[in-house]
Amino acid sequence: MLNITHYHRPTTVREAVALLVPGRAVIAGGTDLMVNPRYTQGVTELVDISRLDLAYIRLADGWKANRQAYMGAATTMYEVQNSPLLASIASGILAKAAATCGSPNIRNVATIGGNVCSALPSGDTLTTLLVLEAKVTLESLQGQREVVLTDFFLGPARTVLKQELVVEISFQVPDPLSGAAFYKLGRTEEDISIVNVAALLTLDEQGQIAKARIAAGAVAPTPLRAFQAEDFLLGKVPDQANLAEAARLTMEAVSPITDQRATADYRRKVTRVCALRALEQALTNCAAANPNHRRNLV
Amino acid sequence: MIEMNLEVNGQEQQWQVEPGETLLEALRRHHFKGPKLVCGTGDCCACTVVIGNKSVCACCLPALKADGQKVVTVEGLADEGELHPLQSAFIESAASQCGFCTPGFLMRSYSFLKNRNPAILPTELEVRKALAGNICRCTGYVKPVEAVLKTAQVLQEKAREQNG
Repeated sequence: MLNITHYHRPTTVREAVALLVPGRAVIAGGTDLMVNPRYTQGVTELVDISRLDLAYIRLADGWKANRQAYMGAATTMYEVQNSPLLASIASGILAKAAATCGSPNIRNVATIGGNVCSALPSGDTLTTLLVLEAKVTLESLQGQREVVLTDFFLGPARTVLKQELVVEISFQVPDPLSGAAFYKLGRTEEDISIVNVAALLTLDEQGQIAKARIAAGAVAPTPLRAFQAEDFLLGKVPDQANLAEAARLTMEAVSPITDQRATADYRRKVTRVCALRALEQALTNCAAANPNHRRNLV
Repeated sequence: MIEMNLEVNGQEQQWQVEPGETLLEALRRHHFKGPKLVCGTGDCCACTVVIGNKSVCACCLPALKADGQKVVTVEGLADEGELHPLQSAFIESAASQCGFCTPGFLMRSYSFLKNRNPAILPTELEVRKALAGNICRCTGYVKPVEAVLKTAQVLQEKAREQNG
């Protein structure tokens, strides 16, 4: 039993943010908060946000080429995993990552907003959200602000949140001809990641890399983008040597720790392997999305 | 103490719960001893109950999340003394040894099968993935998987009979 004195159940976002003062923690699915004491240190009251209608996945109206996808913070992993919309975006990497986020019982209640706010380096959906260049919408009594996900994390379980509520996560839908992949190394598929890597590639008409996004998880105090590896790939042909070099640069970017799941040294070494596999899979998915490239790549 | 209303196994309940109490603690305090406390961290699924159509770990869910909801525990599976096909299949397959994880296996399997079209049988891989969170330390997973596959066949037959 948690040692708390009040359990608030607001029914509007406005009501919820008015409740956010020190000593109170936000609970959505509660699968981290209820079991990890770090989230309830100094907390005496809980604010339950499951009645705020924050469970949705939708596309904004607008030009096809410039579409935004929006997810309510209280959307469960089960809903993300089974969303036909998310399955159709960026090779379905977000749905695939959500499908590895704990056991079915956990995914039935754990939320995407919770995964972001728990800010664990190993958070399964975080690397995919990073390569999708997701933004987080925060709301407080003072109004709303948007923070790009790369700026949101400060360290393990630490974020920029200041008496604010994460209400929405959004990203621009990548070019339909891009290919992406999520590669997770864990004891089992649903266990906490030892290392996870997400990659997204877009090729131009000549088959050169027009855009590369790589993110690695469980290998640094926060999930991180491998900017140097991304820059290296820009304008290059996606051959084996270039992908291998990008994987090496990804490994250079990490600063893992040793814990009960793996040693720092092992994590560093397998980051390279995971990055290469994610890039290769992203490239295959690129080819699947674009028959012209398939010819070039064979 | 906070008052909450819910339905457990088809019966209306009015409970007084502590704000930090888990659903598992509240259920067991009200004599629903089917769901078991093992890990207490959502890692083993021995505490599985079904809320609406979804299976959850009751050990890490605040009781108040079940306010106004319909909860089914393993006690609610049998229909007036007649065992649910899952329970019969678990017995036939000898799918439990010490039995402590069995209520969790049953409720997770129940939710898995309930959310499927009974006309389409699940594959062994689908069943294994569905039960991936349930941990058994005695007898293993071959028998429970077998029992769920058997049950799916029974439910398919039943659905066929009902639809003529």
